[in-house]
Amino acid sequence: MNKILSVDDLVIKFKLRGRILTALRGVSLEIFEGETLAIVGESGSGKSVLAKSFMGLLDNNGWIDSGSILYDRKDIAKYKNEKEWLTIRGKEIAMVFQEPMTSLNPLKTIGKQVEEAVELHQGLRGNDAKNEVITILENVGISNPQSRYSQYPHEFSGGMRQRVVIAIAIACKPKILICDEPTTALDVTIQAQFIKLLKELKNKYNLTIIYITHDLGVVANIADKIAVMYAGDIVEIGKCEEVFYNGQHPYTWALLSSLPQLGIKGQPLYSIKGTPPNLFYDIKGDAFAPRNEHALKIDFVERPPYFDVSPTHKARTWLLDQRAPKLEPPQSIRLLRKEWEAK
Amino acid sequence: MDREILLEVKNLKVEFGAKKNKFTAVDGVSFHIYKGETFGLVGESGSGKTTIGRAIVRINEISDGEIIFKGKKISGKIDPQLDKEITRQIQMIFQDPIASLNERSKVDYIVSEGLYNIKNYKSEEERKQKVAKSLMDVGLLPEFASRFPHEFSGGQRQRIGVARALIMEPELIIADEPISALDVSIRAQVLNLLSELQREKGLTYLFIAHDLSVVRFITDRVAVIHKGKILELADTQEIFKNPLHPYTKALLSSIPLPDPKRERKKKLIEYNSNIHDYSIDKPKWVEIRHGHYIFGNEIEIEKWKKGLK
Amino acid sequence: MSVKIEKLSDGINENLFAFVKYNEIEAQRGGYSNYSYWKSTFKVFSQNKAAILFLIIMVVLLIFTVIQPYLPNQKSPTEISIDPQTNMQLRNHPPDKEFIFGTNSIGQDLWARIWSGTRTSLFIGLLVGLWEAILGIIIGALWGYVRQLDRIITEIYNVLDNIPTTIILILLTYIMRPSIGTMIFAMCMTGWLSMARFVRNQIVIIRDREYNLASRCLGTPTGRIITRNLLPYLVSVIMLRLALAIPAAIGSEVFLTYIGLGLPVSIPSLGNLINEGRAVMMVKQLRYQLIFPAIVLSLITISFYIIGNVFADAADPRNHV
Repeated sequence: MNKILSVDDLVIKFKLRGRILTALRGVSLEIFEGETLAIVGESGSGKSVLAKSFMGLLDNNGWIDSGSILYDRKDIAKYKNEKEWLTIRGKEIAMVFQEPMTSLNPLKTIGKQVEEAVELHQGLRGNDAKNEVITILENVGISNPQSRYSQYPHEFSGGMRQRVVIAIAIACKPKILICDEPTTALDVTIQAQFIKLLKELKNKYNLTIIYITHDLGVVANIADKIAVMYAGDIVEIGKCEEVFYNGQHPYTWALLSSLPQLGIKGQPLYSIKGTPPNLFYDIKGDAFAPRNEHALKIDFVERPPYFDVSPTHKARTWLLDQRAPKLEPPQSIRLLRKEWEAK
Repeated sequence: MDREILLEVKNLKVEFGAKKNKFTAVDGVSFHIYKGETFGLVGESGSGKTTIGRAIVRINEISDGEIIFKGKKISGKIDPQLDKEITRQIQMIFQDPIASLNERSKVDYIVSEGLYNIKNYKSEEERKQKVAKSLMDVGLLPEFASRFPHEFSGGQRQRIGVARALIMEPELIIADEPISALDVSIRAQVLNLLSELQREKGLTYLFIAHDLSVVRFITDRVAVIHKGKILELADTQEIFKNPLHPYTKALLSSIPLPDPKRERKKKLIEYNSNIHDYSIDKPKWVEIRHGHYIFGNEIEIEKWKKGLK
Repeated sequence: MSVKIEKLSDGINENLFAFVKYNEIEAQRGGYSNYSYWKSTFKVFSQNKAAILFLIIMVVLLIFTVIQPYLPNQKSPTEISIDPQTNMQLRNHPPDKEFIFGTNSIGQDLWARIWSGTRTSLFIGLLVGLWEAILGIIIGALWGYVRQLDRIITEIYNVLDNIPTTIILILLTYIMRPSIGTMIFAMCMTGWLSMARFVRNQIVIIRDREYNLASRCLGTPTGRIITRNLLPYLVSVIMLRLALAIPAAIGSEVFLTYIGLGLPVSIPSLGNLINEGRAVMMVKQLRYQLIFPAIVLSLITISFYIIGNVFADAADPRNHV
């Protein structure tokens, strides 16, 4: 498999209320063609900022301070103006946002909106364009595409609107599809259908998918690789099974343990106390240390480097250092580890 | 087991809109909640669950049916004395931590707002103490009373909302999707808090949600609602072990499993209301087993009875 | 990608690899800011140099209109000056050392008249603006929030709105004698309508937000919901309308004077002055009689516009620093 996107030590800062906030503190990542990468983290972890930087959609008060993003051997982190970004946006990299209501133009029929994308990126016109639109609408699971073509967004439910948004995204025939918390605002049933749809489309259109969410439960189905982010840094990255069954970073444990699916009724559900750190200040040591029940003294002093767990799995935690004491992970993690040992 | 019934909803019907464009949000819903239990009401958006919750706290008007609290009717027109009592005894926690707090008021006012209304304190000192205690009960520092909501995270704001309800010393709390808008890691904090408070203060909850995995963790009994009608109602364990209605099965299958191997093998069940043929054989609300109710016509009930484990 | 253990610096001590006692209170301390709504509003406002400039101009203007009569060597605005040499009325005398703005067609000092007129017009504008605001907000809030009142007040509004303001003003001025009181009364009668409508629309937008439902659930009476939950959100937009209402009232006054329904000539006002100036507009030497009052009126209008707009933006918490 060949690399399609390569991020190297990316640092992104924002100017807010007269102060500087470091949203990404040196993120490195490699994405291979055809794989689905899930980026998981709480609000404020920097996952959306990372995704937006791939498309030049950072807010006006943000900028890439250092580092590079290599796409197709070009460093798109250096792109400054709209002209350069337009060669990437849509055509190469497309995005599905969180709020389907605000992603669509309420004054145009959904057919027209998909058609615009088809005309712009596939160069089709007239009936050719319309037929392509009908095909795409069918592929995203919208029944009666002919009649729904001329309906407006407000005549669709939330889940259906999100399908229209995907339709517009894939009408551009992109190589990479970024989904930024696409189902957070939707019901669990719609979410499940959405994931199923995404898998079908990935095969049909040969997509590379970057799926951003705060819910680890959702990605078990769809992710090949998972990157766990905290406070602007990737703390653990590995293959899907490796992160679920053999997670190493206490933050990953915390995220997994706090899922109600793993909870036992009558016992308190594991929860991460406290709040993420203030990114206006420089962070000394491991960012997760103040909230980490298994913190070592060194976590407050020195930022941990990546430790390899396998050729495809690494984590930024001092617990993996040879000198660190052996630690029994929480009960729910021990249960998951059993699955790992059973392999 | 003779348990005290705290809240009873009988044939509740809520309609919106004018004569021609009437939309029936809640269509003849009946259930009861025992004192001290957590009763779950699960459904998708638009199923009517929020409307039911709001009808109980009297924010929405009902079109038909009755709501009875501790033996007294609280729906429709009631006298001001009773109204004041229920204001204290039934409280609500809202979904959106951002929209449910008044941005322009300090946390002190937000939490004491109810106290000002029912004048449940004798002096300013006492009021301040009640606020401090309420904040500590939900795990927040009393010094937070002098700050504004925007200075807090989503989870903290939601806890301020809980403190606001708790300070009234209610008996029944309607939690309307209290964790849907929070990050998954923060949901656990609020869920634990609600469980703990229930144990300490003997509260009764009506827990409204769209996510069955959460409901499984916190509720004693569950009602599944779809398009204004309750389709199945049973003990939580029973519903997870023996789901009978196809809609319940669809809801269960959409719970994401944090287990890649099993999740990938799972077959997603989707629900289509067209599988029911109610043209001749009309559906009824039937107790198919002790404590396990279901909505279906005769043919379906027969089929489901056979499938019981 | 990852670091081999041997490469780590010697500074890292073995005993750093010991567990730390977990401090729950510390975990809660996030970022704390000492936030005050009004302080932030004024801070943002003062960052706009143009607004500060016009605010200073307006304050100076206001102070000057008040103290002007008490300054030495001021003439009365109605006194007709007599030329000591010709013993005739000093008509249309161009601006000079004695008459800073010159005199008008019957010999009255324009400098005194303009300041007196500004005083009168500002007085009218302020009173009308305040009345519009108070009545408009009260009615608009009740109209928007109390559902039972919505239909009735909407009907009343539709009727009143359709009666042309001009006709009401003409009628009232006709019935009551022209005076400052009449002018204020007439404008107050018609001005509150648009403010009420505006406030009502804003309230309808925020009426059903969750925090308001929460207040209802807690039993908060309607009055307190309006004053503590709804109106604070409208400070920004209400201030803007208030600021614009003042020049609008003055503008109405000018218009009414133009159609002959304004204040009597004995009471100087910006409207009167502009009217008189307009009469002699075509004569080049006498143009000063129009230019001076026009400048003052423009200055007032522009100042209030800018101050109002900048303040409205500053009062919006989304713009707070």
